Amino acid sequence: MATDDVSRPPDRFGHRPSFPLWPGRRRNRMRTAAIAIVLAVYAWVAGSVPPFSTAALVMVLIPGVVLAVIAYGWPPERIPAPDKLDITGMFWWVIAVAALFEWEASAYKDNSLPWHPSLTDLINPLLGPHIVKSAAILLWILVGWALVRR
Amino acid sequence: MDPGRLGAGPPVIIMSTRTLTIIGFVLVIAAMFLLEFLARRPGSRIPTVGQWLGYLMRPRIGRVLILLGWWWLGWHYFAR
Repeated sequence: MATDDVSRPPDRFGHRPSFPLWPGRRRNRMRTAAIAIVLAVYAWVAGSVPPFSTAALVMVLIPGVVLAVIAYGWPPERIPAPDKLDITGMFWWVIAVAALFEWEASAYKDNSLPWHPSLTDLINPLLGPHIVKSAAILLWILVGWALVRR
Repeated sequence: MDPGRLGAGPPVIIMSTRTLTIIGFVLVIAAMFLLEFLARRPGSRIPTVGQWLGYLMRPRIGRVLILLGWWWLGWHYFAR
């Protein structure tokens, strides 16, 4: 058609057909999708490795080393931390974290007997299915990335 | 021997104590989720997990320790 070479007006969002207003965003989206796929595959493979093996240790070491290198060598833009915390508000967190540690410590002190299981004793059976363990590994990696950004 | 002291008698006590322990963990973890929810309300004085972790990670040593703790959790649950 003769109108092919006529530039059409942008829509109400400012988008022009076949001409992305922010070409970088599409590239970022592609990069994010690629990273997501790599992480999902990595978590799936890591979830299949038997525990107490060298491979399991390596599978946990790799994300730690990669994130440490990124944090040290190429730190991402960090989310600004607050200059100070509200003491009263923080106090509630201190109570909750202390309670968790106390409960865990009492279980550990009792040698994790069946009648007083530690958090590890409770979580380990849940991590038995491959998909759950892989999802947990993926979550762990994402938490690590969130910490690097802090 | 007293048969009542063997067999299926004691597990009732064992189960109840185990359940109590699990309830303790559930309560504490639920409290943390509640705190996070309350912290995200506008005008809340309670900091979010991200805020207080970010505050702790301001000095380099805090950053290193928190990241080491994160890595230890992964090693503890996935490599062991």
